[in-house]
Amino acid sequence: MAFSNSKPFRIGVTLLRLALGGIFIYAAYVKLAEPWQLFSAGIRSYEILPDPLADLLARTLPWFELLVGILLVVGRWLRFSSVTMSALLMVFFSLMVRAAVKGQTIECGCFGPGETISWKTLLRDGSMLAGSLLLTLVAFVNRRKPAATA
Amino acid sequence: MKTSVAALALLLPCLAGAPDYGKGKGLGNPAAPLLVEMYSDFQCPHCKHLHETFIPGFVKDYVTTGKVYFVCREFPLPGFGPKSREAAAYATAAGKIGRFEEVSNALFANQASWAMSGKIWETVASVLSPAEQTKVQALMKDPAIAGEVQHDVDTGAKIPVRSTPTLVVTYRLQQRPWDYWQDDGKLFRGYLDGLLKQ
Repeated sequence: MAFSNSKPFRIGVTLLRLALGGIFIYAAYVKLAEPWQLFSAGIRSYEILPDPLADLLARTLPWFELLVGILLVVGRWLRFSSVTMSALLMVFFSLMVRAAVKGQTIECGCFGPGETISWKTLLRDGSMLAGSLLLTLVAFVNRRKPAATA
Repeated sequence: MKTSVAALALLLPCLAGAPDYGKGKGLGNPAAPLLVEMYSDFQCPHCKHLHETFIPGFVKDYVTTGKVYFVCREFPLPGFGPKSREAAAYATAAGKIGRFEEVSNALFANQASWAMSGKIWETVASVLSPAEQTKVQALMKDPAIAGEVQHDVDTGAKIPVRSTPTLVVTYRLQQRPWDYWQDDGKLFRGYLDGLLKQ
């Protein structure tokens, strides 16, 4: 199986990679610009992790998001960065769906404070996940064709 | 910094003509680096708990020390019925004569009692002198009081305030709503300390 090597497809994949990388860098920036306790409160409100783990995640996850975002933007280690991004987005999306199904009116925690989980946030993160899965697929299928990958 | 000053200069003409919302409901130095606004409902049990356990220490450590300017906002939840809004109006009216804190304390302390009996005025009057009672009753007839309560509700909904109690922290012109209180405010204190160090 090989993806199209047509120019429009390659341009589209490159733009998608830059957009998702940029979004991850922005998401990391808005979290790192605030004291970590704000993000920890957001994680704790999902009622999944014990408090010490939520705190640890709040201190480390934004740096990880930043790393993944930078790798995507510069186009290095694409298999690693796209798989990591897909895994992260899958976890985020699942947790948001779970919260929505449970009827929790809590913060998404995606891009800083003040954003409640809604169909809009689900649609946005779902679209990002779909885009990320496509990038992952392209990165792996075209792994022996560096010129054809994004 | 220049941007903030320019933004404030542009806002000043608007502020000059605005109604005096929140008069008598603020505590501390208005020029403090952080503004914290508490959106609460006088019938909400979690608000009562926060008011009686967290707020006194918070005021002592952050407000009286000049780090935070603390303002109380009304956010009567529809689920609690009209009594919440009436209590909010009484507290707001009391604020106009400088007795918000006393009335607010009385309403929270006797929450179960007036919520059951509906005797809100009796609870409010118990901490006011006869002259103050007359003033508050006169103010309650002024539609501006109900308007101020509604203004708080509308402002809170836009932030968004999703539940009570919510403390909204404003720092560098950006608002952050905080509604996580399962740890009795330890994380919130850490957050404020972090902001103050920035």
